[in-house]
Amino acid sequence: MKKILFLLLLLASFTLMAAAIEDADPEQDARVKMTTIEPERDVGYTMGDLITRSIILKVKKPYLLQETSLPIVGYEKRRKGQVSGIELAKIVTEQTTDADSTTYTLHMTYQVFTSNVVAKPAALPPEYIKFSDNKTLFEYRIPSWSFRISPLAVFGNVKVEKDMSPFRGPLLMDVSAEQQRLKFFSIGLGLSLLCLLYIIAANDWLPGMGGAFAKAYRDLRKLPKDMQGLQQDVELLHQALNTCAGVSVFNAEGLITRHAPFAELKTELEQFFLLSRTVFFEPTAPSGLQNPEAWLRQFCLNCRHVERGLGKA
Amino acid sequence: MSDKQLGDWRKQALELETEINRVVVGQQRPVRLITTAIFSRGHVLLEGDVGVGKTTLLRAFTRGIGGGYERIEGTIDLMPNDLVYHTYLGEDGRPHVDAGPLLRCGENLAVFFFNEINRARPQVHSLLLRVMAERTLSAFNTEHHFPHMMVFADRNQVEKEETFEIPSAARDRFMMEIPIVVPSEAALMESLMFDTRFHNADKLVEEVKPDILHFDKLNHIATVLQDSVQASPKLRQYALDLWRATRTPQQFGIKVEGIDVSRMILAGASPRGMSMMLRAARVNAWLNNREAILPEDIHAVYHETVAHRLVFSPVYELRRTELARELLNNTINTIAAP
Repeated sequence: MKKILFLLLLLASFTLMAAAIEDADPEQDARVKMTTIEPERDVGYTMGDLITRSIILKVKKPYLLQETSLPIVGYEKRRKGQVSGIELAKIVTEQTTDADSTTYTLHMTYQVFTSNVVAKPAALPPEYIKFSDNKTLFEYRIPSWSFRISPLAVFGNVKVEKDMSPFRGPLLMDVSAEQQRLKFFSIGLGLSLLCLLYIIAANDWLPGMGGAFAKAYRDLRKLPKDMQGLQQDVELLHQALNTCAGVSVFNAEGLITRHAPFAELKTELEQFFLLSRTVFFEPTAPSGLQNPEAWLRQFCLNCRHVERGLGKA
Repeated sequence: MSDKQLGDWRKQALELETEINRVVVGQQRPVRLITTAIFSRGHVLLEGDVGVGKTTLLRAFTRGIGGGYERIEGTIDLMPNDLVYHTYLGEDGRPHVDAGPLLRCGENLAVFFFNEINRARPQVHSLLLRVMAERTLSAFNTEHHFPHMMVFADRNQVEKEETFEIPSAARDRFMMEIPIVVPSEAALMESLMFDTRFHNADKLVEEVKPDILHFDKLNHIATVLQDSVQASPKLRQYALDLWRATRTPQQFGIKVEGIDVSRMILAGASPRGMSMMLRAARVNAWLNNREAILPEDIHAVYHETVAHRLVFSPVYELRRTELARELLNNTINTIAAP
């Protein structure tokens, strides 16, 4: 009789436990949403290799992960009494929470401690973790992941002639650092040459070289060195100043107020307008220049440098 | 005429400017323009609100150049004869005739100030314009001459009631239209309010050194300096372009924001207007100690000698001041010299 009573009590306790731990089918349990990030390759692993898989579990509130249910580092699972040779080496858990769920990211790193003379199948073992809301508890299964373990050496005698494969190239020295350095210096050299070209070149095939003073400078060099040429020189410069300012310019301030960088040429601009006054309007007014043509070319060059944002030469 | 004499006159002109600027503060540009007009022998239309110092300015100039100063107020019932004579019954009970403001100083009349000219009737304008153009007047069977007279007329652009707009032909007789505005500098405004020196205009005018110039020599000086200041071919071309631009601005690519310039102008500046502009530019060059006109000399007087001569389409006439300024500024900004 006592035995029967004991059996009844035992049966009742099992029934209660069965009610507390719900039988959760991982594929159908809507409370958990799982995403797995598996290793990139599933072949070629040998003794000592580390394999990391990440499991993202999004569980609805109020359920929380039972940390005691996480797999234990160093524990090696057995199958049919035999060790699998795959051991959990490291586990990192991250947790984020939003309005209606909690997301757990498990980074599990396994190490291979088995080998074979030929390739053999293996698997990262399935893991069972538990979630609870203080009242109910359910278990969730993380599926296993299959891969192949490669042998450390080719089994048996190997004839090198027969082992040559077009897919396996010769061993090469690592020259990436030198290549990177070469690229860096080549780009530097190229940029330096472009800058030099930009400064000294007279043609307008580079951006910014079609500026008003760049054009004027090219035309200045073609004009004759006489009084008529001087008038044309001054006129060219006037046109360049007007184009640069966007309005007719009659004094240095007229340009500087519109293009502040020309302030560093204020003295030269005033000298230019003095020269223009002598050439076009008041021949008796002294310009104070011994060689106005040469001065005009230098002035135009200075203006061209300022126009290109290079500053006064 | 020697350069030394021109230099001496320039010194006197600049001394006159300094004296005027001492008593009429914050009006440097109008003072320079009136000095220019005096040496160009051109009449001046003053534009400004009441109480900004126009009369004081003119009295100060008159004291500086000597000669007679007469003034008349433009009213709707003013008749042409009021400028020439007025009649009254004397103590003896008999009618008497006295000379009016135009005749009172005779040939010594130097400055004739017509206050609020646009309140006077066109008949009065007509008489005045003849006097301005010919500097003569026929009255009492005599031809009266005013060889040294300069007319300064004032018109209030804001008040339009009971006024007669001066026709374009009449405006053209004036060499310049000069705006007189209240100084914007706070210190000057404060001085004008609190410094008692500025409260008595009569005493203030007396501070000007008298007869710095001689009004009866100004015609001669003007002739000499007009002959002595040169205009180069390039400057002539530039002035010609400026003139053409007042007639057909669209041909020079001149734009006014939101306005079709080809429909804006009915008539540009007249030949008389442009010759007056060049006379004024020559004086400006001389005042700046130059022997030839520069574009800057034209710019210094361009707006004041040209703006009032432009005839706008009626639809734009009400915005004349604003549009004329923008058009002429854009003209200077667009036309190159060289």
